[in-house]
Amino acid sequence: MDPQPEPVSYICGDCGMENTLKPGDVIQCRECGYRILYKKRTRRIIQYEAR
Amino acid sequence: MGATKADAADYGALRELFRHHIESFDHLVDRGLETMLDKIKPVQIFDPSSDKTLKIWFAKPEVYQPQKEGSSKTSHDALLPFECRQAKTSYAGKFVVHLYFQYDDKVAVHEKFNFGHLPIMLKSKLCYLNGADPQKLVSWKEESSEMGGYFILNGLERVVRLLILPKRNYPMSMVRNSFRDRREGYTDKAVVIRCVREDQSSVTVKLYYLQNGSARLGFWIQAREYLLPVGVVLKALIDTNDHEIYSSLTSCYSEKYGRGKGVVGNQLVSERAKIILDELRDLTLFTRRQCLQHIGEHFQPVMDGLENESFISVASAVLQDYIFVHLNNNYDKFNLLIFMVQKLFSLIDQTSSPDNPDSLQNQEVLLPGHLITIYLKDKLEDWLQKAKKLLQDELKNKAKNFDFSSLAHVKKVMDKNPGRQIGSAIENMLKTGRLVTQSGLDLQQRAGYTVQAERLNFLRFLSHFRAVHRGASFAGLRTTSVRKLLPESWGFLCPVHTPDGEPCGLLNHMTCTCRITSFFDSKGNFRDFVKIRTSILNVLIGIGMTPSLPKIVQAGPPDVLSVLLDGRVVGSIPSAEVEKAVSYLRRLKLSTTSGIPDDLEVGYVPLSFGGAYPGLYLFTNPSRFARPVRNISAPVDGSQNIELIGPFEQVFMEIRCPDGGDGGRRNEFPATHEEIHPTGMLSVVANLTPWSDHNQSPRNMYQCQMAKQTMAFSSQAIHFRADQKLYHLQTPQTPIVRTGAYTKYCIDEFPTGTNAIVAVLAYSGYDMEDAMILNKSSVERGMFHGQIYQTETIDLSEQSSKSDREQRMFRRSNTDKSAHPWIDSDGLPYVGQMIRPNEPYCSVYNEVTTTTKNHLRKGSESAIVDYVAVDTKTKKGLQKANIRFRHPRNPVIGDKFSSRHGQKGVCSQLWPDVDMPFSGITGMRPDLIINPHAFPSRMTIAMLLESIAAKVGSLDGEFVDATPFASSTKKANGEEKSESELLVDQIGAKLRKKGFNYHGVEVLYSGVYGTELTCEIFIGPVYYQRLRHMVSDKFQASSLHWNSRPGHTPAHQRKKTRWRHPIWGDGTRFHGCTRGGVFIAR
Repeated sequence: MDPQPEPVSYICGDCGMENTLKPGDVIQCRECGYRILYKKRTRRIIQYEAR
Repeated sequence: MGATKADAADYGALRELFRHHIESFDHLVDRGLETMLDKIKPVQIFDPSSDKTLKIWFAKPEVYQPQKEGSSKTSHDALLPFECRQAKTSYAGKFVVHLYFQYDDKVAVHEKFNFGHLPIMLKSKLCYLNGADPQKLVSWKEESSEMGGYFILNGLERVVRLLILPKRNYPMSMVRNSFRDRREGYTDKAVVIRCVREDQSSVTVKLYYLQNGSARLGFWIQAREYLLPVGVVLKALIDTNDHEIYSSLTSCYSEKYGRGKGVVGNQLVSERAKIILDELRDLTLFTRRQCLQHIGEHFQPVMDGLENESFISVASAVLQDYIFVHLNNNYDKFNLLIFMVQKLFSLIDQTSSPDNPDSLQNQEVLLPGHLITIYLKDKLEDWLQKAKKLLQDELKNKAKNFDFSSLAHVKKVMDKNPGRQIGSAIENMLKTGRLVTQSGLDLQQRAGYTVQAERLNFLRFLSHFRAVHRGASFAGLRTTSVRKLLPESWGFLCPVHTPDGEPCGLLNHMTCTCRITSFFDSKGNFRDFVKIRTSILNVLIGIGMTPSLPKIVQAGPPDVLSVLLDGRVVGSIPSAEVEKAVSYLRRLKLSTTSGIPDDLEVGYVPLSFGGAYPGLYLFTNPSRFARPVRNISAPVDGSQNIELIGPFEQVFMEIRCPDGGDGGRRNEFPATHEEIHPTGMLSVVANLTPWSDHNQSPRNMYQCQMAKQTMAFSSQAIHFRADQKLYHLQTPQTPIVRTGAYTKYCIDEFPTGTNAIVAVLAYSGYDMEDAMILNKSSVERGMFHGQIYQTETIDLSEQSSKSDREQRMFRRSNTDKSAHPWIDSDGLPYVGQMIRPNEPYCSVYNEVTTTTKNHLRKGSESAIVDYVAVDTKTKKGLQKANIRFRHPRNPVIGDKFSSRHGQKGVCSQLWPDVDMPFSGITGMRPDLIINPHAFPSRMTIAMLLESIAAKVGSLDGEFVDATPFASSTKKANGEEKSESELLVDQIGAKLRKKGFNYHGVEVLYSGVYGTELTCEIFIGPVYYQRLRHMVSDKFQASSLHWNSRPGHTPAHQRKKTRWRHPIWGDGTRFHGCTRGGVFIAR
């Protein structure tokens, strides 16, 4: 298969710590062990309709 | 902001609105479960081979706080409500009951049995949020004003609906045609009593009148009605003789009174008493023993577990379990039955009138905690019976490896009947609102006990907890008598806040001051009803009541009145004394040290000519309605004079309204009580309409409807919620003109609209027929901007359990790169990304088939990925994701708006700012133009008042108080004494002082021609709400369809959507405003 997919950043729902997860990783904050993580906003350029 | 912050600090007034839900659940976990388990009869299993009897019963329930799954026993990981909402799980705590096993007379051994998880009500004693201050709540990702009162089941918030039930322990005379069809010879008249046990389960007993003058006692056992001659029951209850029964029955008749006031008996009563006794003779039943034999013989087949008992013990079980279950003493039952027979005879002789079962006077409410208690009792009883059957089967089969005397073996057999299903049965009941039961639990309906607490806006959410439903069985009735607004409900149910249409009058809302009595007193201590009743009894005896117990035969009205305390005939009181006694009791209610509860209902039904059956009925029980009024007859000694009264007593009380009038009672009946504030008769939502006393009443009703469908600031913790659909207003404002209730209930936490500058004029023709023109630039600056959040939950572990155990995971395909613009390397979308229809938003890789499946966006509009939350139940990798999309919902043509006065309209044009008319003095352009024709027929004067008052308010920089009925209230301190002039004049004078026109009109210039408009235009700020019905949600991409004329819904969608556009209708039928030429004043 192709090279390893690049990791994605998540933010912990409890402490706000940034976590980087690879596929197959356990969904848990490294800092506080919290189990709900939010995905970080993309850094890609996004264009919205300004109306 | 400073002032509101101080008020908002504890949200006491708001919590008061939800208290009855929480208190009833608190009682369930505190005491309710224990009393309920006590009432469940032990089962006995007899093993003939070893001659041993095993007795099993329940005791000591334990309910734990919700805990995370998989957390070890040592570390107690708290499961918080917001986690349940996001992870779509249930907020439930472990439920354990001790089971006692006893062989013959040996020492009982107890074992813990796990009965699954019991859903926990938020903010109840078992909830972590209980007692948390606003800061703590915010740190737990709740609203700072969170009030609880609901359950979280699979991430959904559900409330138990309050249902109207017949008032407990009160014998009601009823006339119903269906009584005639019971059997041959029955009439349409009966006296009905709904008896409630200590554990809140109830049994209704009916006393039917027969054409021959006798009566039959009817009660239900296992979905069948059994009818017993009343004489048999009377004789079976106590050791008595014919003479005693005869004199008890005829005691209410005395020759000396003739047909005077308050006389309930006549000479026919003695004839009927003879018939009742003759019936006994015909059955050859002379003694109590014979009567018990007779009953036992007939009921042995239907009484479970008493197959081998004697007839006499069966009969006493019937009397105990089905006849007047609220009483434990047979003498009390006898007295009550005599009372009911007398009431029945008086109903027949028309010396008293039937009670109206539709009036609030004879009603109470079903509370969530009580519903769960009785359902749980039913389920546990079933479980125990099933366990017994399993054990008996095992004994019957003579299984080799089964030893009856070994507890381990017995338990092993009982484990075949998993206890966990009890917890899930309760959860299912709350999830679906459906009762699955054999017995019916003495309730009228099977479904519709719970509803989802939608958070469309705060007012809708709040209304779910204040709503009282009459019952599903009445919804199908053709008669409208149940829907009527009766004067009895004054002050308890809001006359304004009921939906129009199908549920009109059946779904009512409690007024803001109305509360429900509970097991807890105002300080939160548990009430000891036995103690309360004893102290009431002592007080009654002290003021001249003759107790009933030592002597059975009592005189009747009009000499003396029977006194019933919680459905027990405790004695009689001379009718000359009774009024003094009542006012004395009311005084004791006010005092905190008297031992008389502050919400004791003193229902004194006075003597009358053929009115309600006289008597003194006292109620202490929970789940009654109650409301505060001021007692003005009590001596003013600085102590509190606020008394809680119920709907039963209110009917016979003299309550003055503080408007200066006497309510037509003149001096003959001096008022003893006074309303505290006129707004107490309105619900919270109705109280928010400014100056609602200046509006035509149906307009206020429409406003209550529309306030609940407004798109508003629905939640402050919006980021921690994963609701399916969530409406959100981007730029809400606090209204300039507001009522006292607005600040009291902290509605500023969840504002519902915008102060728009409204000009009332006919401009451009686009504002005809309830259309309105919005200023395009105002909209572009953010007015009424909003969005819908829609959450998709993808749980891979859940789906895979259905089909074969295929391993699936979130992953994007590396070979097919077509989806890469939308999907990140974790298989989920980029946050902030716009996704158009038919574009993928997540991809799932199947390890078995090695294929990748993309989830595509459906629908016709593009959405933006608002957040992606991942969480997991297991330690495995990414299995579950909540993807929330944001649909922009800025105002477009066709969206619906309304003011707070039932004036709804549809946006017809977004008119360019430059073409809007402008004021000659200030240069202001309106945000919104409505047509003058909206006013004459609808008479919403308060909207005009709001407009000019808001103008003054914004000029002064102050909020304007628009509490209705301000002129009918006494000024507390005589500061505004001379302000008896009209409200308009007050406002007008202030406007003039600021240099504006007295009437709120201004000179406007046409935005197109620059010429002065011929008329001066009425213009000012009005608080407008944006309603949730939006065209973008409705038209469903039919513009490309071949038959898509405007307003013509494609055929395949027409059936699906019940919604009709307010102006376009559903296209094919004409409706409402489109009926051209037909004048409809809506």
